[in-house]
Amino acid sequence: MRRFNVPLEHREKINLIVVFIVLLILIGGLAKLQIIEHAGLARQSENNRIRVAPIIPRRGVVVDREGRLIIDNRPSYTVSVVPAEISPDTTLPNLSHLLELDTLQIKEQIHKNMVNRYLPAPVKRDVSFETVAVLEEQSTRYPGVATQVEQVRQYQKGIGAESFTGYVGELSRADLLKEGRDDYRPGSMVGKEGLEKQYDRQLRGQEGTAYKEVSAAGRYLGDYEGKEPVPAVEGADLVLTIDIDLQRICAQVLDTFCCGAVLALDPRNGEVLAMTSYPGYNANIFSSVMPESLWQAISSDSTHPLLNRPLNGLYPPGSIVKFVTIGAALQQGIINENKTLRPCTGGFKYGNRVFRCWNPQGHGSLTAAHALEQSCDVFTYQLGLELGVDGLSWYFSRCGFGRPTGIDLSGESPGLVPSSAYYNKNYGEGQWTPALALNISIGQGELLVTPLQLAQFFCGLANDGIVYQPHIIKLISYTSGKVDTVSSRVSFTLPFSPSTLKVLWEGMRLVVEGKHGTARFLKNERYSLGGKTGTAENPHGENHSWFVGVAPLEAPEIVVCAIVENAGHGSDVAAPVVGKIIARYMEKKSKPAEVALRSAKELQ
Amino acid sequence: MTLNYRELDWELIGSVLMLSLIGILLIMSAQYYADSAFERTYFERQLLWLTIAVFVFAGVIHLPLRLLDFSAYLLYGLSIVLLVLVLLVGTPRMGASRWFSFGPINFAPSDFAKLALVLALSRFFAYTKLPPVSKRRLAFSAMLTIIPVALIIKQPDMGTALVFFIILFGLWFWGGLSPVYLALILSPLVSLVAASHWLAWAVYFAVLLVFLFLFRPGFLFGVVMVVANLAFGMITPFVWNRLADYQKLRILTFLDPGRDPRGAGYQIIQSKIAIGSGGIWGKGLLHGSQTRLDFLPERHTDFVFSVLGEEFGLWGSLLVLLLFAFIFYRAVRIAARCRSRFASNLIIGAAAILLFQFFVNIGMTLGFMPVTGLALPFVSYGGTSLVLSWSLIGLIVSAHYHWQEY
Repeated sequence: MRRFNVPLEHREKINLIVVFIVLLILIGGLAKLQIIEHAGLARQSENNRIRVAPIIPRRGVVVDREGRLIIDNRPSYTVSVVPAEISPDTTLPNLSHLLELDTLQIKEQIHKNMVNRYLPAPVKRDVSFETVAVLEEQSTRYPGVATQVEQVRQYQKGIGAESFTGYVGELSRADLLKEGRDDYRPGSMVGKEGLEKQYDRQLRGQEGTAYKEVSAAGRYLGDYEGKEPVPAVEGADLVLTIDIDLQRICAQVLDTFCCGAVLALDPRNGEVLAMTSYPGYNANIFSSVMPESLWQAISSDSTHPLLNRPLNGLYPPGSIVKFVTIGAALQQGIINENKTLRPCTGGFKYGNRVFRCWNPQGHGSLTAAHALEQSCDVFTYQLGLELGVDGLSWYFSRCGFGRPTGIDLSGESPGLVPSSAYYNKNYGEGQWTPALALNISIGQGELLVTPLQLAQFFCGLANDGIVYQPHIIKLISYTSGKVDTVSSRVSFTLPFSPSTLKVLWEGMRLVVEGKHGTARFLKNERYSLGGKTGTAENPHGENHSWFVGVAPLEAPEIVVCAIVENAGHGSDVAAPVVGKIIARYMEKKSKPAEVALRSAKELQ
Repeated sequence: MTLNYRELDWELIGSVLMLSLIGILLIMSAQYYADSAFERTYFERQLLWLTIAVFVFAGVIHLPLRLLDFSAYLLYGLSIVLLVLVLLVGTPRMGASRWFSFGPINFAPSDFAKLALVLALSRFFAYTKLPPVSKRRLAFSAMLTIIPVALIIKQPDMGTALVFFIILFGLWFWGGLSPVYLALILSPLVSLVAASHWLAWAVYFAVLLVFLFLFRPGFLFGVVMVVANLAFGMITPFVWNRLADYQKLRILTFLDPGRDPRGAGYQIIQSKIAIGSGGIWGKGLLHGSQTRLDFLPERHTDFVFSVLGEEFGLWGSLLVLLLFAFIFYRAVRIAARCRSRFASNLIIGAAAILLFQFFVNIGMTLGFMPVTGLALPFVSYGGTSLVLSWSLIGLIVSAHYHWQEY
């Protein structure tokens, strides 16, 4: 036992050694952190306190051809939540009560829009000033809630422009993953439809980056001075080919009907002067969180306000496309400008079936131009039979039907031009009758067109067969000073010779100016006008009423195409609609000052 | 009693004073940007406490050592009474009732109990005729220690309870107990920890048996130790289940700070970031971003050393470490020179408390010791801790002054 007893001087030494070892361990620990791991830990310390905050650029504005605002931005209040700072027991219930959203919706919003726990996630945009005042006054009841001023989109109301403006909405986390867009964050406002979608990259500009110093609680203390912020690049402004004066009258003339669409194009360059889909919707509502009930109401509305009719409305074109059939027959030498066919007695017997003309009294013997004037079905049936399904199909395709026009707006429908291949596929080889050609020849049957395709076709007729690419953007003006001008370019040429076009041109003239013209009431002394009526039979209800007008006829500047759904004859409904629009155009041309003054008043 | 002030150990006193002033500077920096005016003035209150501590220190050095010797058991008894009382009528804070509150002043009897235990054990070891390895000597001194420890564990406060054992082990060793025995006596505790995994336990047991074979501390002692090790190993699961959740979390977090970076591991991670980012030269007074921006928790109390590391870097930290090292060096030298065994024991007991807290606290801020809530003596904010630490220095200075007395 004795040998384990330690003498005092040894104990003193051992004690000093213990002190020394403790000191060495601590110095070792210090050196490890402060020398070896210094660089990494210093970086962590910087990361701790610096948060990257996006600087949201101003979204570009959209103006009409004369610089009048169609889409603007206005400041609004956004209520956001900093997820790291909320107190679950008080924040959500109180906020739910104030914003009239249930807590589940708020949670969804936070989840959807959260970037990280320390950055505010927008919950509701465009709240009233009263709401903000409550939040500021009673801030203790709303821990973790922040209000910010953000720019929201403001769409010019009452001009039915949604069909091309589209709208913006919040980008959800799911969309972000799906589309793989790394320049966006959840909760960013992005274009969902129309121009807003098609030109989203140009309109939105480039986000900047601010470096903010934060406390451990995530509270923003101000700008971090060690790093220069990267400024945002503001979005580009768009100048459209649209003329608001014309746009407004388009929206107004459809106002008394259920549904329809109007398009005005300049045949000389393909510029879209006006375009509206009726009924429209208020694009402003999409900028904020939309209540589920409102969304339900809009999407289940039987008048389909979200359907963009000029681009996506698929209709049988009716008699309007007699221009294609008769043009094809002239071109093929089946008829010439003076040749008359078997006289119309109100019907045409083919096989054991009688195909009737719209006029049961019959039209008698007609030349091509007069057949167009009176829209004689029997005349056209005979040509359709001669041309056959594939002959018609070839000419329809060459006239721009059955494929998108390529307008600079997204989501255009191609329409449908049936061919024998199509019928073989759908009905079986040889299981269909050539009489289907009769239906196609007068724009019925499977043939489906969009209003834009019809307008484009008439632009070609009005412009010596040359079809310009329809477009709605005139120029894009970047903040850098760069301006992209969209130049007009030829899209295709109609498959008609000048002599054929001359006959068709005469047909257009006679529809308005002829003694028996189906739209003769549009005739006036001030300017010459041509066009074609169409009455499309609709298996689901009343006929669709079509009219395409061209003015002034000797040197066409405008083509207006209108469809009014379930409204009856083309001459009764759509023709007066187009007449009013063309009248406004011609009025503006002759008295620009007066129209401009009136327009300025209405815009207020 | 009059003293010849020139004979006092002014180097020791100067070191301690310097540490205390560095502490006040750090406390000021730690809360300089705090939101509440109360927090911003912590350093002023610490300055007031320092004044009080210096007066208490002066009082202690004027007390005749013989009087302390004489009243050691009495003070020990008083400390036990206070520990019982605090359990009954103490003011609970953060789930523990450790304090008596007298208005703004909080008095923790466990701090007083440390001092009392040092006195009691010093007296016992000074006068006992029993040899260092005698069972009665070990048992009696262990009992003196376990009574306050049991009361403190009930509070509950594990960190402080450990300090009491350190006093005991320090004085056992200073009383002549061989480190071999000390290691064996402590071995059941190692067994307790090793038993958390069967393989670790098996390896540990093999090492234990080899150790016993090499040193042959006596047959009976050896058998008792093996049985004790077995027993402690087997009760591990029970002990684990008896621990409060926050204690379990502290242990788990100590083993792996990354397991809960926003919760319990947060303090350790942020402290390491603070010290490491300070580098060699530090970020400068009031320029520590970890400190200024609230990332560092408990930065004026338990983690005050992290503030030092961040703002003054390696050189500042080394200065403080060397000041402490000087204090311990001086204490050991004095203890070895003292003619009075009581005084000598007193110094070792006091130094053991300070050394243990010094090591555990700084080890915690460096990330290799668990978060125990032990303050850094002289530097951390806290009145009772400061007064206690200065009292301990008072004992050392007094023993030094009277080293020739028996």
